[in-house]
Amino acid sequence: MPERYRPPAVLGIFRDPEALLEAIAAVREKGYRGLDAYTPYPVHGLPEALGLKESWMPRVTKTMFFTGATLAFTFEAWTMARAWAIDVAGKPFISVPPFMPITFEGGILIAGVSTFWAVVIACRLWPSFKYKPLDERFTNDRFGLYVPVRPYESSTVQSLLQGLGALEVRELA
Amino acid sequence: MSDAHNSGHHSAHANMEPPIYRADLTLTDVSRDINAPIWAKPTGWWWGAFLTSFALLLLGVYVIWVQLHVGLGILGLRRPVMWGSYITDFVFWVGIGHAGTLISAILFLFRQRWRTAINRSAEAMTIFAVMCAGLFPLLHIGRTLLCYWLIPYPNQRHLWVNFKSPLIWDVFAVSTYFTISLLFWYQGLIPDLATVRDMETRPIAKAIYGFFAQKWKGTARDWLHYEAAYGLFAAIATPLVLSVHSVVSSDFAVSSIPGWHDTIFPPYFVAGAIFSGFAMVVTILVILRKAFRLEEYITMDHLEVMNKIILATSSIVTYSYLVEIFMAWYNGSPFEVHTYIWIRFFGPYAWAGWTTVVCNCILPNLFWFKKIRRNLFLMFLLSITTNIGMWFERYVIIVTSLAQDFLPSSWGYFKVTAWDLAMFAGSVGLFFVLFLLFARFVPTIAIAEVKGVLRKPVGEASPVLEESNA
Repeated sequence: MPERYRPPAVLGIFRDPEALLEAIAAVREKGYRGLDAYTPYPVHGLPEALGLKESWMPRVTKTMFFTGATLAFTFEAWTMARAWAIDVAGKPFISVPPFMPITFEGGILIAGVSTFWAVVIACRLWPSFKYKPLDERFTNDRFGLYVPVRPYESSTVQSLLQGLGALEVRELA
Repeated sequence: MSDAHNSGHHSAHANMEPPIYRADLTLTDVSRDINAPIWAKPTGWWWGAFLTSFALLLLGVYVIWVQLHVGLGILGLRRPVMWGSYITDFVFWVGIGHAGTLISAILFLFRQRWRTAINRSAEAMTIFAVMCAGLFPLLHIGRTLLCYWLIPYPNQRHLWVNFKSPLIWDVFAVSTYFTISLLFWYQGLIPDLATVRDMETRPIAKAIYGFFAQKWKGTARDWLHYEAAYGLFAAIATPLVLSVHSVVSSDFAVSSIPGWHDTIFPPYFVAGAIFSGFAMVVTILVILRKAFRLEEYITMDHLEVMNKIILATSSIVTYSYLVEIFMAWYNGSPFEVHTYIWIRFFGPYAWAGWTTVVCNCILPNLFWFKKIRRNLFLMFLLSITTNIGMWFERYVIIVTSLAQDFLPSSWGYFKVTAWDLAMFAGSVGLFFVLFLLFARFVPTIAIAEVKGVLRKPVGEASPVLEESNA
């Protein structure tokens, strides 16, 4: 399968999250946009430095919790009162307290499974036997800064990143 | 603080508390040390433990085989005690599982950064414990091959399960708990599996780790969503774990049997679950850090904190026992006095009652002494006695209450048979087989999370490669 089209870009590799954050600030200062960073762990302050919007995960979890809970309660009420009503110890057919545990568990189950799938979609996860990352050190001990550039800017950005303490600078075409 | 020269946000919050890990650990060290067991040949200890557990597992399989052919009669179940060791084992294992969720979710919400050393293995423990737990009700129902009747599905007779019964709540609670724990654990594993994928040199292993790491790239946006989802998982897992053991306790509390019909049961069961679960975490970690040389990461400080939690939950459990006994006396019902006080402490089950009290209420008090909290051998021993005590607590609750109820002519005595014990041993075997495989093939400590709380999270310089490029 061909890789998605990637615009020309420069990749700077750092060994220190502080250096990465400083470099992001400096590169953004120069007016470059659409930056991305690769880090081996969630670096505090990185989304703010890159100006990323907040994650939409909470909306998924909240919505799906209430959806799941509603579905579970409706199903309990339907089976116990409509589909085949059985008198259990003279309690009402739709008896709210004994329906609550499964209503709650249903909400949690649907919310959790949906949150997991939301991560799969948001991070574009998919099982693959032969995936090759941009650089194998980004999941270990190196930090990458990805700067999309116009072809004629490449060398300027490369020397800018080197000046900002990048250990290694690469051009991605 | 000593390294006040650290600048930036990392030291800003790291400086407020003592360092969790050695101050000079680099990112490179963390990946290398934690993944070392994956690339090292397993030691003789690992093989010994694995083969022993596997033998126990086979014993359990044999019991299941015989039971499916002969029936539940091979167990000690006799009227009036028709809930025996299987239900005890079920409650025991569900309880063990709860510490894992507590560590991964509740301590996360409370921003307890020391949890990074232990959350991965505790979550794995949860999943394996819930698997063991799930086995017992399925065997206990007798006609195990019809276990799908527990699930509400459209069937020829248009009948549905009874949603007003706590036994059905249990089906939903335990299966939801298993699903959510598994997803939470796996989601946390993805970045670490990617670390293994990218460090791995053997092509087949690389492909397999790559498959499970799901093209993880670790971009800023990936981490943003990942962290949001992690927090949300923690937020939903916290009420979930409290609900699961509350529902398990409702299996008993909703009935009208003296000894079971108790409003204190939900919090009492949850506290007991955390108590036994933390003891199991200590048991496992003492072995794990020794076997895989993870002393730098699972430090004595971590173990000491856990021993403090064991001490705290032991006192909650003790308090619950006292409340139970007091309420039995105070409510004036002779049946309650008979069950809670006579049978359990002076009558036919006094041996089990006092084992519970000694193991759960008296022995953990040794953890008031710092020397004992930091002594590997003693904490290992106390973690085992705690779990013996917690098994007997459930045994006492379940069996004694059924053995002698309102009508003396129907009284009986439950005796554990070799088959009961063999099945419990089988579940222990299953648990440790799974755990040992986990410890061998999966990063046992959350690599990315440890990296996030390092003093100075920098990578090691690798002069050969980089200076030529720079």
